[in-house]
Amino acid sequence: MNAIINSPLFGIFLTLVAFETGVFISKRFKYSFLNPLLIGNILIVGFLLITGISLESYNVGGDYISVMLSPATVVLAIPLYRQISKLKQFWMPILIGIFVGSLTSIACVILFSKLLGLSDTLMLSLLPKSVTIPMGSVISAQIGGIPSVTIIAITVTGITGAVAAPAVCRFCRIKHKVAQGIAIGTASHALGTTRAMEMGEVQGAMSSLAIGIAGLFTAVVAPVLLKLL
Amino acid sequence: MRIPLQLAVIFAICLAGEFLHRIVGVPLPGNIIGMVLLLILLCTKVIKPEQISGVSNFFLKHLALFFLPPSIAIMAVGDDILSKWPLLLFLCIAFTLVTIAMGGWTTQFLIRRQERHSGKTSDGGDK
Repeated sequence: MNAIINSPLFGIFLTLVAFETGVFISKRFKYSFLNPLLIGNILIVGFLLITGISLESYNVGGDYISVMLSPATVVLAIPLYRQISKLKQFWMPILIGIFVGSLTSIACVILFSKLLGLSDTLMLSLLPKSVTIPMGSVISAQIGGIPSVTIIAITVTGITGAVAAPAVCRFCRIKHKVAQGIAIGTASHALGTTRAMEMGEVQGAMSSLAIGIAGLFTAVVAPVLLKLL
Repeated sequence: MRIPLQLAVIFAICLAGEFLHRIVGVPLPGNIIGMVLLLILLCTKVIKPEQISGVSNFFLKHLALFFLPPSIAIMAVGDDILSKWPLLLFLCIAFTLVTIAMGGWTTQFLIRRQERHSGKTSDGGDK
């Protein structure tokens, strides 16, 4: 049985089945917290815990799918290219909006970590939580955080954005499509972008534009801000 | 373009991004550099979006799938942090909502101001 479980086919199959089950459930019941990724995550973690199969065994196959994050990030250039005229039109509001959003995320983490007496390591691990996984894990290591904790915080943040973004936009009266996309991409990276794309092409493109720029701002601003403290 | 050729083009861009990051030392992750490279190729009309649409549509449509395996790392977190999970979960959720609100408000405020100054409106104020 171990030979089967440690085959890459196992992790790939489990991922595909869990994801499609998540998609099926989220389409069947139209509650926004029933995110395919959230359901898929719970199904896989639950399955591994119940069967006692290790994360390492799962990752033998899971890593094949993770590798595809690279081409999946690269093709984000296409919706961005289609919306490039909007970027030219609103470049200043967009850049300032992303900057303020990134700064808000960083400031919240620093402020509440100090207030609640969290350890510095934990604070530094949470700091790049709004940044896309490949950038955030690098920033975390650079400033002294634990990358694996960062990846988890980034995932929770991304799921929150993907689940709650439309509700937050409604509640806060953020109606402009460009502003919606920028807010979602800045706060919840590519995971939130999956939801932004469902909201519309403009939101999706602006969200994917914000991912890279928010990562850049965080990479530059975080070390400077930490030095000032 | 045939699908294998489309894949080859996209993986070539990924590799170029990794090369610029790891060998040349550009301080950005390889895949982000790759995204910028593809954007440049599209803007300079070297590649047309239709030429790679078979592969790009697949990745864009099923983007969330590729985040599922990394998200399973949530199992591997240590006990000292695991014991704080309700607080950390609450903080992550709360900060995300505040960040969306601040980013969105700022962008929308500045866009509206710019539009008032130029006297134009765009597709935003629906309903």
